[in-house]
Amino acid sequence: MKSVIFSRFFILLPWVLIVIIMIDIDTKRTVRSPAAGRNGKAQQRGVRTGASANQNQSSLIYAITPTYTRPVQKAELTRLAHAFRQVPRFHWIVVEDSTMRTDLVSRFLARCGVQFTHLHVFTPRRFKRVGMPRATEQRNGALTWLRQHRTKRDAGVVFFADDDNTYSLELFEEMRSTRGVSVWPVGFVGGRSYERPIVSKGKVVGWYTGWRPDRPFATDMAGFAVNLRVILANPRAQFKRRGSQPGMQESDFLKQITNVTELEPKANNCTRVLVWHTRTEKPHLANEPKHRKDNVVIEV
Amino acid sequence: MPKRRDILAIVLIVLPWTLLITVWHQSALTPLLATRKDDRRDSHSNSRSTFAFKESCSMQNRDIVEVVRTEYVYSRPPPWSDVLPTIHVITPTYSRPVQKAELTRLANTLLHVPNLHWILVEDSQRRTSLVSSLLQETGLNYTHLNVETPRNYKVRGDTRDPRIPRGTMQRNLALRWLRETFTGNNSQPGIVYFADDDNTYSLELFEEMRTTKKVSVWPVAFVGGLRYESPKVNTLGKVYGWKTVFDPHRPFAIDMAGFAVNLRLILFKPQAYFKLRGVKGGYQESSLLKELVTLNDLEPKAANCTKVLVWHTRTEKPVLVNEGKKGFTDSNVEI
Repeated sequence: MKSVIFSRFFILLPWVLIVIIMIDIDTKRTVRSPAAGRNGKAQQRGVRTGASANQNQSSLIYAITPTYTRPVQKAELTRLAHAFRQVPRFHWIVVEDSTMRTDLVSRFLARCGVQFTHLHVFTPRRFKRVGMPRATEQRNGALTWLRQHRTKRDAGVVFFADDDNTYSLELFEEMRSTRGVSVWPVGFVGGRSYERPIVSKGKVVGWYTGWRPDRPFATDMAGFAVNLRVILANPRAQFKRRGSQPGMQESDFLKQITNVTELEPKANNCTRVLVWHTRTEKPHLANEPKHRKDNVVIEV
Repeated sequence: MPKRRDILAIVLIVLPWTLLITVWHQSALTPLLATRKDDRRDSHSNSRSTFAFKESCSMQNRDIVEVVRTEYVYSRPPPWSDVLPTIHVITPTYSRPVQKAELTRLANTLLHVPNLHWILVEDSQRRTSLVSSLLQETGLNYTHLNVETPRNYKVRGDTRDPRIPRGTMQRNLALRWLRETFTGNNSQPGIVYFADDDNTYSLELFEEMRTTKKVSVWPVAFVGGLRYESPKVNTLGKVYGWKTVFDPHRPFAIDMAGFAVNLRLILFKPQAYFKLRGVKGGYQESSLLKELVTLNDLEPKAANCTKVLVWHTRTEKPVLVNEGKKGFTDSNVEI
């Protein structure tokens, strides 16, 4: 009798082990290879993902960069990439304002040296008037992609990185520890040298800004980061297009996902400026001929 | 019957163990391979990865599956090589609100370039702490100089034809420093490049200029009212003219960011400096280059001057209306 039990046990043992290991692999693989699915508006391309991240490790930073075609586009993306390449555990989501993925950006991203996802969402011209919020559809497209391709088990921090701003490398290490929503000062916004949250006892109690301090979240797009879990826990949180007032984009978004009391101040209790809202001048192209006169086509 | 049962029993025992062993073997190898391929994708062979990564395979609790952790340990800047010529990048800079932002993103670019020596020359009476601390933090190989342009020489407001082009004295100081530091006997190969702090540089550019023998040239975007200005190169690979609209008859119709000079040539012609006074707009580069080379000696780079690797971007002055006359924000907060 005993021998029968023993033999049965030993026969069952390896199968039980296999089952345990399969379950284990399932929970440990937190990063999946992306599906080549197509969305209505946003088409995505396969992206090369890093090796499976251990949950105990610190988060992956997702930078969402809306971009649009104009002469300085490649230059802006180039210097952005130079900053991002220095940041470990980083994923760049570039969303073009275009009906299709442009060659320039595709070629650029292929050689940029950063893990990336290349999306595109077209904003109709009627939304491109002065005073209207910009890049709304692109940022929403990126959020949709994240919601479709990431789960609660993925550790990440989402950040909106416009392509003409300047980022110091320290900023990314500050935001990596975001548990909910974190905020910090931004240079050259609000008509002042910088805008910042006012911090008291580790909590945000007000806003120091030169423009409309009555906003619920008087910060710039580059002044906050959101933990991926918060994005996933609020699947309807989007940037508003209808009924959006100028300068209220950030507030309208943040009030859907958090309160001022829950904000985590970074950058030494919001006393250091680690990101600057620089703007690049439109280049003077007055001497360009109306029709191309050169015998070669050169990408700028 | 018993025979079949025995066979069945043996299969039942052996099969799962073989499965386990193969799974263990696979999971041990493929994660390692995947992470090795996941290295920096640099297309040019010269550039080195900005970081090496170390992985630790840990066998946890006798689990057959290994959890491979990749930790990116980025070394900034890249390690010094004894083989590559040093690129001496001369950047004049001056205090204004966006100075720190500009220098930060220029540093972000330069941190990727091996064997780079950054010569930062401030237009100020004293070396400012903003620049000093920024330079120290980046970890770059640098030299911090300063020389103040006398007030009556400075650009007044936003005029486009300055009395003395901005940055001239600073660049000349850097040239003098190079000549004092590297005497002729010292055969350390080097390239000198003038990089303004608001331009945008691709990493390929630095690799292109490393092979400069005398003076090399390439196209620059957003100058002269064009998408780009470039030298005209004939089929023999020689420069014979300039593709510009603004005064193409200048001896060297090129922007400051469009050429690099071999250090040996700088040392060989110790009288060559940028002309300070009486220089027409757009002729500053010519004032130096005509003392160094002739048109024939120029080496076209960037695929015979058909690729744009540097952009003459300019940063807008930030809107600071709400600061008021006395300044509203805390001046102790450095921006």
